Amino acid sequence: MTRAQSFFQNIVNRQVSIAPLVTFRILFGLLLFLGTLRFLLKGWVETLYILPKFHFTYYGFSWIKPLPDSWMYLPFIVLLIFCLFLVFGFLYRITTAVLFLTFTYIELLDKTTYLNHYYFVSIVLFLLMFISAAKYYSVDNLIFSRKTQPLVAAWEINLLKFQIALVYIFAGLAKLNYDWLFKAQPLKIWLQANHNIPIVGSLLQQKETAFIFSWFGCIYDLFIVFFLLKSSTRPIAYLFVVVFHLITWLLFPIGLFPWIMICITTIYFSPIWHQKFLNRLKTIFKTDKNELSVFQEKPVKNKKLVYTLLSVFIFLQIAIPLRYLAYPGNLYWNEEGFRFSWRVMLMHKQGNATFYIEDKNRRIEIDNSDYLTEFQEDQMSTQADMQIQYAKYLQQQFSDTILKFNETEIHLKNPKVYADIFVTLNGRPSQRFINEKIDLSQQNYNLKHRNWVMPLNEMKTTE
Amino acid sequence: MLNTRKFKLIFAIFLLAGGLLISCKKKKVEEPDAVFNKKELLINLADNVIMPAMSSFQSSIVALEIELTSLENTPTLGQFDNFKNAWKSAYLSWQHIKIFDFGPIKNAGFKSATATYPCDSVKIINNIQSGAYNLSSIENIDAIGLTSMDYLLYQNNALADYQSTTNYRLYVRAVVDKLLNETNQVKSAWDAYRATFVESDGTASTSAFSLLVNEFTRDFELAKNAKLGIPIGKQSLGILRPEYLEVRRSDFSLALLKESVVALKNTYLGASGKGFDDYLIFLEKTSLNQSIVGNFDQSINGLAAISTDFETAMTTNFSDLNNVYLIMQNQVVNIKTDMPSAFGVLITYQDNDGD
Repeated sequence: MTRAQSFFQNIVNRQVSIAPLVTFRILFGLLLFLGTLRFLLKGWVETLYILPKFHFTYYGFSWIKPLPDSWMYLPFIVLLIFCLFLVFGFLYRITTAVLFLTFTYIELLDKTTYLNHYYFVSIVLFLLMFISAAKYYSVDNLIFSRKTQPLVAAWEINLLKFQIALVYIFAGLAKLNYDWLFKAQPLKIWLQANHNIPIVGSLLQQKETAFIFSWFGCIYDLFIVFFLLKSSTRPIAYLFVVVFHLITWLLFPIGLFPWIMICITTIYFSPIWHQKFLNRLKTIFKTDKNELSVFQEKPVKNKKLVYTLLSVFIFLQIAIPLRYLAYPGNLYWNEEGFRFSWRVMLMHKQGNATFYIEDKNRRIEIDNSDYLTEFQEDQMSTQADMQIQYAKYLQQQFSDTILKFNETEIHLKNPKVYADIFVTLNGRPSQRFINEKIDLSQQNYNLKHRNWVMPLNEMKTTE
Repeated sequence: MLNTRKFKLIFAIFLLAGGLLISCKKKKVEEPDAVFNKKELLINLADNVIMPAMSSFQSSIVALEIELTSLENTPTLGQFDNFKNAWKSAYLSWQHIKIFDFGPIKNAGFKSATATYPCDSVKIINNIQSGAYNLSSIENIDAIGLTSMDYLLYQNNALADYQSTTNYRLYVRAVVDKLLNETNQVKSAWDAYRATFVESDGTASTSAFSLLVNEFTRDFELAKNAKLGIPIGKQSLGILRPEYLEVRRSDFSLALLKESVVALKNTYLGASGKGFDDYLIFLEKTSLNQSIVGNFDQSINGLAAISTDFETAMTTNFSDLNNVYLIMQNQVVNIKTDMPSAFGVLITYQDNDGD
């Protein structure tokens, strides 16, 4: 065996303890349960999925539709139930498939709500469908009276480690940009707003603080995984994980994401740590008293299929965040190839979009609140792809309609849609975002470069 | 070799963390004043803008009620005019209240109950004729408040109807009593709310500071759209819609629009104390601040230069009104995009996670 082969054997085929996967399954299931519960309690099902008249679907997924009215609660209830199934390892394959499909269905409904960590949850649920995380310490194991199989192929754990590593490293690479490193933006804006925090508050308005946070965050994201991988640096590295994510949780409205990372980075811990953790659970819940048996080599079936699938997945996960390289212009301004790339907390963008319906040089100024929720309007104002979708929707609303103003009756046949849009990015003075002379409803909604977006004018950054 | 490299990396991380602590400490001692405290802004706004506006609105409503009592005793033309004048000053004073549609004002639904415009004269006539009405019901929202008096006091036979019809008099009385009652309630609720308000200087979408910025912006947009844009045809292909003027019959709409912008400017400046302007200057956004102040002045001057009433101006001075509209449209970008972005405040109430 060559060195490469043995390395490959080591990270893919070797039979290793299942314990880290079992911990992962339990913690991830619990967090997803809590996240779903929180989502329900905050009333977001209604504000995000029931109230909007119009949804910004993803390219190629316009066929995904919300359920009517209160039926929209159903997928969330399904999530709650199956999250518990996941925790207890009940009907594992079905459970993971249901969770993946349900969660992804909800996420695909409206890109207004896109968050990297929702995408991450979808990816992990997808991976769990193929990973045997319920062969041990699970209800499945009890009721189907299977033999405990304390071993899995190494790739099953390494794939999750790889996925987490990608999140951190791509997030770190994304921070290697001028605004982040040399203007400490957007952290400068976000930190100063938190001056009311006791004791350290006043420091958050110091420029130096923003720079230290920016550089530390960048170095942390780039290298933390490597320190987690080495057993000698792992305890300190994990301490950094906890502190880093707690700080972000305290300062920024990012929901459960910090807790997810704090919990699931334990997958980098040694199998022995996980065995101890599970043994402790067993003592607490007075379940199964068997210790995990010793590792042993076992050949994997369908090796070729596994390798192919793994390679495709890994290729996609590396290629998708890099697709932005295929587009010209400023990534943060144009947001072409921005989503699904682990670009977390990277920009502060705010905009104001005034849309016009025009017919024979006469205009109707649109009140966005007649068609969109505040959150949708807020997101649409800074994202060119959503502006196209909205323009097309408005065009539909007004085309071939008869409007009556006092005694005047006007028949709109095929009105045009224009917009005055101004956007500010990372503290720059706002500037015109799209060409106001272009009929947006006539632009194609696709993944090509959108040339009606005005280039970001860097000369206006004097302030 | 490997061990030293590892050591160095760990050491570097510690240095960074240490550097954070040290630089923090140093700064704290050296520059204690280089900080903008949003709490001071909130205190100033509460004590020098909102509460005084509240008191003066309360007095103007009390005065309105006193004039009404006089009118009920001597329903003459002279007394009717006194009552109209009291209504005008109350309505001007209201422009300084409606900006703050959060906390007690929001909870009481005070904004919509006081000035939902234009009023629905058909509803008012029906109410008066039937004599049976629940003014607190949601259907009557545009048949009550200060706006309803545009019809009640300025319709063509207002004085004659007032003098001759008991139901008419009762309706005016009911509207004023409701207004007085709610004003008193909201005033005392705000007195109690002040402590909560000034403490809520955080970044959550529910913090008073976020609410203040959001409502300020929203009110400006409302002035731009509802008080000006809609009547001059901005949402109707350029077709003028005088029927959407805030108070068409009294020819008072232009004065209200101007006062609304004056009130917004005063809020922006925090009267003569700490306001949004000072926060922007602290954040090194001086030219944005200048642009916002200049824009307010241009709008106010532009409106002051129009000597006719609104409806006449819509035909005789359309370009003047349109210019003010365009100035205000630019201002929306300033105060809805650049300003909150500099503050790190999100323009949305919708509580949501970011990433």
